[in-house]
Amino acid sequence: MTFPPVVAVDWGHLAPALALLATAVVGLLLALYQRDSRLTVGAVLVGLATSFLFNLSVFLSDSAGGASFGLRWLADAPALAFNFVVLLGTALAVLVSYDQLGRLDMDHPEYYPLMLLSALGAMVMAAAGDLVTLLLGLEVLSLPVYVLSAWRPQARQSEEAGMKYFLLGAFGSAVLVYGAALLYGAAGSFVYADVAAALAGGSLLSLATLGAAFVLVGLSFKAALVPFHQWSPDVYTGAPTPVVTFMSVVVKAAAFAALLRVAATVAPEVSPWLQDALAVAVAATLVVGNLAALVQRGVKRMLAYSAVAHAGYLGLAVLAPDHGGVEAAVWYLTAYTLMNAGAFAVLSLVVDRNDQGDDVERFAGLGQTRPGLALALTVFLLSLGGIPPLAGFAGKVMVFSAAVEAGYVWLALLGILTSVVALVYYFRVVAAMYFRRPEYPAPSFRSSATDVAIAAALAGTVLLGLLPGWWHEAVRGAQAALGF
Amino acid sequence: MTALLPIIVPVVGAGLASLAGGRRGAVTAAALASTVATFVASLFLPGAAEFRQPWLPGLGVSFALDPGGAAAVLVVVVALVMVPTALYAALTVEERPGRFVAWLLLAQAGLGGIFMARDLLLFYVFWEATLIPSLLLLGTFGLEKRRAATLKYLTYAVLGSFVMLVTVLALKALSGAPSFALEDLVLAARDLPAATQTWLFAGLALGMAVKLPLWPLHSWLVDLNEQNHPSGAADVLGTLYKVGGYGFFAWAIPVLPLGAERLAPAFIALGAFTAVYGAVVATSQTHLKRLLAYASLSHMGIVAVGVFGLHVAGLSGAVYLLAAQMLSTGGLFIVTGMLYARRRSFDVDAYGGIAKSAPALAALALFLIFAFIGVPGLGNFPGEFLSLLGAYQSAPAAAVVATLAVIGAGVYGVNVYQRLFLGQQREAARDLGPLELYVLVPFVAGVLWLGIAPAPQLERIEAQSQLAVLQLASGEPPAAELALGGER
Repeated sequence: MTFPPVVAVDWGHLAPALALLATAVVGLLLALYQRDSRLTVGAVLVGLATSFLFNLSVFLSDSAGGASFGLRWLADAPALAFNFVVLLGTALAVLVSYDQLGRLDMDHPEYYPLMLLSALGAMVMAAAGDLVTLLLGLEVLSLPVYVLSAWRPQARQSEEAGMKYFLLGAFGSAVLVYGAALLYGAAGSFVYADVAAALAGGSLLSLATLGAAFVLVGLSFKAALVPFHQWSPDVYTGAPTPVVTFMSVVVKAAAFAALLRVAATVAPEVSPWLQDALAVAVAATLVVGNLAALVQRGVKRMLAYSAVAHAGYLGLAVLAPDHGGVEAAVWYLTAYTLMNAGAFAVLSLVVDRNDQGDDVERFAGLGQTRPGLALALTVFLLSLGGIPPLAGFAGKVMVFSAAVEAGYVWLALLGILTSVVALVYYFRVVAAMYFRRPEYPAPSFRSSATDVAIAAALAGTVLLGLLPGWWHEAVRGAQAALGF
Repeated sequence: MTALLPIIVPVVGAGLASLAGGRRGAVTAAALASTVATFVASLFLPGAAEFRQPWLPGLGVSFALDPGGAAAVLVVVVALVMVPTALYAALTVEERPGRFVAWLLLAQAGLGGIFMARDLLLFYVFWEATLIPSLLLLGTFGLEKRRAATLKYLTYAVLGSFVMLVTVLALKALSGAPSFALEDLVLAARDLPAATQTWLFAGLALGMAVKLPLWPLHSWLVDLNEQNHPSGAADVLGTLYKVGGYGFFAWAIPVLPLGAERLAPAFIALGAFTAVYGAVVATSQTHLKRLLAYASLSHMGIVAVGVFGLHVAGLSGAVYLLAAQMLSTGGLFIVTGMLYARRRSFDVDAYGGIAKSAPALAALALFLIFAFIGVPGLGNFPGEFLSLLGAYQSAPAAAVVATLAVIGAGVYGVNVYQRLFLGQQREAARDLGPLELYVLVPFVAGVLWLGIAPAPQLERIEAQSQLAVLQLASGEPPAAELALGGER
């Protein structure tokens, strides 16, 4: 097996990420002189559009599937598709943030470049073909989000959220680094493909298994798989809602992009107990996430636990990368980005100007007072609950059928039974909006930028659900590219 | 493309109705235009071409609709029932009639999909999607205890259908079928061992038994009917949405014949028990809608008995009964709504003797009750008779027990008519207005149509029953039998 020389770099493949980097740098410099964040937002949106166009051109071209830096930067179908998800999530989050930062008293122009840097980290993680690049991406992704979580001044909750996220995130990274070191010790390389090839020879299997386990644990922190999920409800509740909109979709997408790669390349070569342990973690995630979400009073906290539950559904796809799990995960994350960001966008309009007041009673009668908002939230929640013909349903079918094909019928059954619970807690909010009279004055805050985000997410959730085939076909063929 | 019309037209109508909002004239116009157009389009279904487009090709899902076979009958009957139902809803729902009608029409679109789908996953999509409008109708427009009823309905329906979804996915994975299309599944699943088929059948059956409904999974139905909007229009939808029997007939039995044979004794017993239980409980009810709910539960028991007789007569008869009871039960629910509009009560004892002051209402109600209890010459009779006849071939005991339910129907049917309309009149009631008359006429016409001339409809249904029976005989199904659309 001959590998391309280390210096071979396809700049076209790097262009989507570089566009984000350049925009973030320009944005930060602009912020030194111009404290009005409108300019920065404009620059950031242009940067996102540029990155999107670069990514699209690579995705459609023949050069997709190549690698740079000797297999350390992969520009294959899953990575490029994940880039789309990341860009979509970031754009929605920027729009949700635009009018709200001023209202929440946290309008500083540095906010947007930090968000872009984090998105850049997500792209690096999706493209990473080795453990060092992965770690690099993880840190670039995480550090800005720690800061953003604590962005609200004089809000102890927000500070606590940032601190908690930072400490547990750092712990997760440390575990990942340790696992990478063990893997290097066992296989003599950081590159996934080399590690897999070396392990196929059968040397130092237990050391490698331990290393892979640590790597998976480190990533599980970011993906919020049980039992490494405990930070997420607290951080989601404490962090400003626009920031949660961002991290609930982009951070999750990045974590699963990385998990999928490790699961597809390294994990099959180590001891099978690791796969079993992962299956148990997924099962626990499904149960804990859904049952905990059921007993929450606040909608934001309910959505936080629902995000944990969705990590479980995505986990089903991670367990079956060879049975259509890769495209299932990408597709699911696309749908999840639309519906979850949409739900948080609606939530951000309902909460008061202290970012408080998200209990179900606030949603009572919303169907009468704000019918458009209520309809949108209904669609997002039903889609999260997996009701056809919305996007969440097709995503669920994909991950479940991947799991069933891979032989995890019991997990699929568990996932479906917990989905019944999920539908109950999602529907509780819908029921409040339509079946009850208003108990609070209607939320008065309006933002056209957030409305644009909601409309886009709504259109995406419905259209992707009605016509799921094209995007699935576009992402397919992904496995062949993954293994190299 | 004709096959798409019964789905697209109601969706468009729903959009128009929700745009019309609170303007009653506009809502009425949208409801009438949409339902009449759907009915006219559905008349062209027999003989129309199959519609098939890839939908999620990576997983082998296609958007396949076949307007032939039983679908042609059921979609036409649904379209016929929806004309007066949507009209009555548009005229009588006090608050936001536009939203009410929009949800009714969305559900109609879903029902069209359920009956025509020839791809199992697509069938599931419609099956599940139809739930949401009916839930929202109950929760938004229902009576005082609607929220508890909604939660119960949601839990039963979703628990059943989610298990069904996993079973659907497992069915394809285990059988190695290349797609979810009916013909692929039929061919591939036949080779599955009997034990696997039994498990899969049980998984599908859970979802279908909830929606049939069969005892002991029926209790959501009674609460749903009791708490739904007093006009009765939402209950008509509930009646149309009892699609479990069709699910067994069109999917579970032909695809998993060995599983069906193994479990048939259990289900036929449950069906016979449901029939008798529903009839017995119905006789002791004084709440009109609860009475009707239990009585229709009894009919569903007969449907189950017919289906699980696994005989061509019973299978066809059960589906025919399903179609006929849409008209008779639906019409009676509208009658309860009209009674409620006069007295503001569903208590049987609040009425009495009103045949004197409302003779037209009494006459049409009596006609529908006769149809409901299976008087020969009217809609329910052929289906009931064939269901029991088919069941008698394989399970005579169950058939005899289920026949008791037919006798019970005579008792509660005549009894309720007597208490409502005959005897001493305490207070005069307004007779049918012209609009109310127009609303009831389609039900009456439909009941006569299905009662007097059952042959053409039964033939269409039988074409599809043959498929199930051929599978049960585990002979090679001729390829021609699989395609129900096209000329025949």
